[in-house]
Amino acid sequence: MAKNKEHHDRGHHAAIATGKGDPQCFKGKAGGPPKFKVGDQVRIKDLPDVFYTRTQVYTRGAVGKVAVVTHESPAPEDEAWDHTDHSEWFYIVRFRQKDLWPEYPDAFAKDTLQTEFSERWLEPA
Amino acid sequence: MTSRNTLKPPRHAPYPDALDHKLFRQWMRTPHDVGGETDVPIPWEETEDEQWGARAYVTCECLAWRGVWCAEERRRKQNVDLGNAMYLGLPYYGRWLLAAARILVDRDHVTLTELINKIDEVKKRHGKK
Amino acid sequence: MAEKHGHKHAPMVEEISDFEALEIAVRELAIEKGLFTAEDHRKFTEFAEHIGPTPAGRLVAKAWLDPKYKKLCLEDGIKASLAVGVDWLKPTGFGTPSDYTDLRVLEDTPTLHHVVVCTLCSCYPRPILGFQPEWYRIPNYRRRLVRWPRQVLAEFGLVLPPEVEVRVEDSNQKCRFIVMPMRPAGTEGWTEDQLTEIMTRDCLIGVTLPKPGTTTNLKLPLHRAVNPAHH
Repeated sequence: MAKNKEHHDRGHHAAIATGKGDPQCFKGKAGGPPKFKVGDQVRIKDLPDVFYTRTQVYTRGAVGKVAVVTHESPAPEDEAWDHTDHSEWFYIVRFRQKDLWPEYPDAFAKDTLQTEFSERWLEPA
Repeated sequence: MTSRNTLKPPRHAPYPDALDHKLFRQWMRTPHDVGGETDVPIPWEETEDEQWGARAYVTCECLAWRGVWCAEERRRKQNVDLGNAMYLGLPYYGRWLLAAARILVDRDHVTLTELINKIDEVKKRHGKK
Repeated sequence: MAEKHGHKHAPMVEEISDFEALEIAVRELAIEKGLFTAEDHRKFTEFAEHIGPTPAGRLVAKAWLDPKYKKLCLEDGIKASLAVGVDWLKPTGFGTPSDYTDLRVLEDTPTLHHVVVCTLCSCYPRPILGFQPEWYRIPNYRRRLVRWPRQVLAEFGLVLPPEVEVRVEDSNQKCRFIVMPMRPAGTEGWTEDQLTEIMTRDCLIGVTLPKPGTTTNLKLPLHRAVNPAHH
């Protein structure tokens, strides 16, 4: 009956992150270098929407450029069930607004939007 | 359009073949993913938080501080698992509070029976009918 | 009993609301079961009551006055926060659970203006900026800012020419953002304190620009709480 509670080590996060912070505590845990670098053109994959995601539907299929390689962290789809064994590199990707919204006015063609993705969501474009 | 692709008025539940891919996606959309949805200008407002809301926020952060859950689990329970109706219909900190109650039960720290009895006892203690 | 004169939203008969009862129940059970202590709750409450937008405003003011510090702000927002008295590791020693420890400062230029939103919830750099305004939390702002940013900015009184790129930052993961607007004209010779005063919360989110003489956020109607918290 207490199975759930016993699986979960409540001291774990404090033990790995005290004095470092989060996401700093996951540094090195992606197991390799980032797949993408600043300036790379990437497309946002449209993986199935099941139960939880932090990759917004409005970005799916859009093509943008990597603006910042931020940090390593478990992907939210894993962290939302407290699975922190695997980490991925995260990237801020910048899009032209005209590429996100069909009706975005030509007058404001310079406008952009940027948001952050874990590596699993990106493919080269 | 064949009858297979037409959404007929449901009797008790939709027929298995009543949802096309587009409709399926709509049903599966996570409630918090609102970016780009149509909405109209409204008068912007500031609000004062209620004391219970501020305390609920602190409770949620203390639960994460002491490792009961992490913030991402809270967001899932609070902004997605509650479902679209509650997402749009409940006060902001009401959802924080329900998520905190939920994690206590889901992780077996408290049984639902204990939670029910405690709420009942608190209400009686404060004279609520 | 609970009736408050002149307050049209006061409950009539009940001592506490359903939410209040649930809040007490959850907190008491958590403490009874040893999940956290009353002292933990008190400590975090104290932290929550002392955060506000002034440190972030001061960070920008300092950056305007010191190019070296500005460079630090753009390279390492967490380190830069220490200079304005904000240690992002507090109060737990590993950061607040919801705000993490990766602050990014977004620098405006003459041809670039940033504005921040969290479309998925209301992620916000609380340790350096305090609590979000209600409008930042609600679906309306989150739906519309990403798709119609100039319309939303116009509703806050900010209209930018087409030559200025409006860049929306959708803060959807662990990074947290504040905007570093350009230093406005008319502030020549100002002290750090004077510059801090005009760097309001609204400027740090990016819905307004700092102006000499404007030291408060946009005046909006305030919906009062029945039992207000002291943020």
